[in-house]
Amino acid sequence: MAADSKKTAEDDGGEFADFMADISEEIALRVESLEPKPKAQPEAKKATPVPPDAGLILEWENVVDRMIEEVR
Amino acid sequence: MSVVNYGTREITCKIVYYGPGRSGKTTNLQHIYSQLPEERKGKMVSLATDTDRTLFFDFLPLDLGTISGFATRFQLYTVPGQVYYAATRKLVLQGADGVVFVADSQSRQLAENIESLQDLHANLADEGLDPRTIPLAMQYNKRDLPPGEISSIEDLDETLNFRAVPYFSASAINGGGVFETLRSIASMVLSRLSAPAPKEV
Repeated sequence: MAADSKKTAEDDGGEFADFMADISEEIALRVESLEPKPKAQPEAKKATPVPPDAGLILEWENVVDRMIEEVR
Repeated sequence: MSVVNYGTREITCKIVYYGPGRSGKTTNLQHIYSQLPEERKGKMVSLATDTDRTLFFDFLPLDLGTISGFATRFQLYTVPGQVYYAATRKLVLQGADGVVFVADSQSRQLAENIESLQDLHANLADEGLDPRTIPLAMQYNKRDLPPGEISSIEDLDETLNFRAVPYFSASAINGGGVFETLRSIASMVLSRLSAPAPKEV
């Protein structure tokens, strides 16, 4: 009879345990591979070093002399 | 689609047992239920008619406990096999992550198997699920019947398994092949687990 041959949890409790073992392993692998990585803090942009005398015409006097020379 | 929810630490997967009427879908779930340890036995919901046919669907929540820090649940459903419950089958298929097609090995049931498989494909497509890629396992059930009454595994596989997915010989009434099938479909579903897409701001 089918009912007689039907396995029960008592006589074959291993089926679910085996299933759990396999699935647990699979989930562990999957979860690990999908775990969102913490976002790395974006590195602060390095400012281009500006020399302290940038933009200054250091030889101002000479420039004026040259301009006067040109006008002449 | 099954999703790993890192916020709530949950994994939930929906697996649907599909197939023609009386192929053994409910018997599969009953065997799984019978093997659950007491502490994991929730309620198996089975809506059957007085002739023991599945009227609406069976539902077996399989709470696997916490695995790798995630509360893991498999929801197993069956659909009613009878042709006239088409709408119910469609409803149960919604959001399925994987399907087990339970075929009846009896030679005289071959046409019903084919019809049910075609119905599955049509309903999957209607629900926006790709019949060519959704995790699927074939189960050729009732292998305990006399050899003269059943088709060979090779014949069944050639006729029904055109996607060449994993297939299993089973005798669900005795429990044979039931967990092998479940393990296979669970594995396929898990391999497609994905993290939820980030919300757009």
